[in-house]
Amino acid sequence: MNHTSDTRYSPRRILIFALLISYALFCLFPLVLALVNSFKTRSEIFTNIIALPEHLEFGNYGRSIKSMRYFRSLLNSAFISTAGLTGIVFFSSIAGWALCRFKGKLSTAIFSLFVLSMLIPFNAIMIPLYRIATVLHLSNTLWGMGWIYSGLGVGMAVFMYHGFVKGIPLDLEDAARIDGCNLLMTFKNVVFPLLLPITATIGIMNLLWMWNDFLLPLIMLQSPSRYTLLLSTNMLFGKYASDWPAILSALILSALPMIIVYVLLQKHIIKGITEGALKG
Amino acid sequence: MAHQNATKRNLQLLACTAPALIVFITMKIIPAVMGFWYSLTSWNGINPKKPFIGLENFREIFTTDSYFWDSLLFTFRYTIWIVVAMNILALLLALGIESQRRGKGVFRTLFYLPNMISLVIGSFMWNFIFTKVLYYMADTWGWSFLDHSWIGDPTFSFYAILTVALWGGTGYIMIIYIAAIQGVPEVLHEAAIVDGATPFQRLRSITLPMIAHSFTICLFITLNNAFQVFDVVYTLTGGGPGRATQVVAINIYEEAFNNSNRFGYATAKSLIVFAIVLVITSIQLTVMKRREQEL
Repeated sequence: MNHTSDTRYSPRRILIFALLISYALFCLFPLVLALVNSFKTRSEIFTNIIALPEHLEFGNYGRSIKSMRYFRSLLNSAFISTAGLTGIVFFSSIAGWALCRFKGKLSTAIFSLFVLSMLIPFNAIMIPLYRIATVLHLSNTLWGMGWIYSGLGVGMAVFMYHGFVKGIPLDLEDAARIDGCNLLMTFKNVVFPLLLPITATIGIMNLLWMWNDFLLPLIMLQSPSRYTLLLSTNMLFGKYASDWPAILSALILSALPMIIVYVLLQKHIIKGITEGALKG
Repeated sequence: MAHQNATKRNLQLLACTAPALIVFITMKIIPAVMGFWYSLTSWNGINPKKPFIGLENFREIFTTDSYFWDSLLFTFRYTIWIVVAMNILALLLALGIESQRRGKGVFRTLFYLPNMISLVIGSFMWNFIFTKVLYYMADTWGWSFLDHSWIGDPTFSFYAILTVALWGGTGYIMIIYIAAIQGVPEVLHEAAIVDGATPFQRLRSITLPMIAHSFTICLFITLNNAFQVFDVVYTLTGGGPGRATQVVAINIYEEAFNNSNRFGYATAKSLIVFAIVLVITSIQLTVMKRREQEL
């Protein structure tokens, strides 16, 4: 589509450009309005909702940080995502590799089990899963959430590691084995470093999923001290129904970590998302 | 000897897959199997006893539970709208971005931005817009077409939900279309230009046929996601007003965790949803296989 015409600014391209700009404004609209109004007083929001704030009312942020236990929730979210990701990466990298290297009836059976399980929608298992988590004392704990996410995430990750290992030549592993490495050492020292590109993709996909997931923590976590960022935001919204400055500043604060990550790692994230979508 | 070797290999395989298998079987396979058992009981989630009642739950769902069928119908309606609108919008955005010489990266980054933020946060921000900002615009600027109860009126809350879902989800689908468009060999376009093809002809005869594969992928990603929608509806309207925008995931969630604690009954409902998803997915796999054979 790059060589439409010789004129640099054909009317068609200008029209498309204008439409793209308007969609960009649509994407930014809620974020900008939330940001602008999060610095206003309550009465100012009602008198002029579009204008910039007359002065920056930081008290809103203080109020929401305190009532949603912002830093506590942030830490909870970070802990759960990290624990879940660690489990997913370690469990499924070695499993995906082994399934590719020890071919046979057994590996086909196990691999099919992982792949077929991807068809099970979360809605269909959430109630029994809640029961199991309660019996195993995994519900309402941060560690438990990490374990549950590992279990839900490994199917897809095994599939992706398996596909990636297929393209790695056997020579290095054979050399390591001849040099006397056992299975675990071969995997740890030789294979795993080669899996880093696909690990990055799997990491990005799963972190975005766990960080932004709402329904599972909503079911599993009952104590407010263990709430994730989203649960605290949800609770605050219910509690301060009319205090928009506090709510909006809470929304900005909960969106902030992901926006920072996006600004810093934007290229890697887009690349990871594209690969993840096409391989999964 | 060969037999022994095979046994050793199988043991090694099991040792390597054991950690993944254990968490996976515990969190996914066992719940799926337990679901079948729960659906045949009248368990309330607390009682240690799970009284077996056969197919009574299913009989009740099929004969008396009109709320469930309403929510299922609403979910279908929502799904059709989202699948069509999101794919068209994402494809147009991808084509638009790829037609530009400058600013491709900036547009792509901005259009994907809403996907980074949870729809829970996005919905609350949009809630502010729907309940405060649009009224303000209607009052102050006289834009009376905005003067509706966007959350309180079922007709308009449906459009409000669609708007937020499109806002939060289109970027992802667009990224897949962009990757597909970039994969179209440049020589095809060059040859077509030499032959005097207009941009529209090139779009119809080169770009669209060449990205047909990604079209199938996007269709089923949007289909599956839309059918299981929860976050955006739960946080924007809560399924209301009344039950007017209740999707099936909210219906099941409330049955189990909010209203009646009827775990057995709610599980039976979730199995019906499971069956529908299975049908959708098997159609998807058949279509994809057929397409790959054609290529």
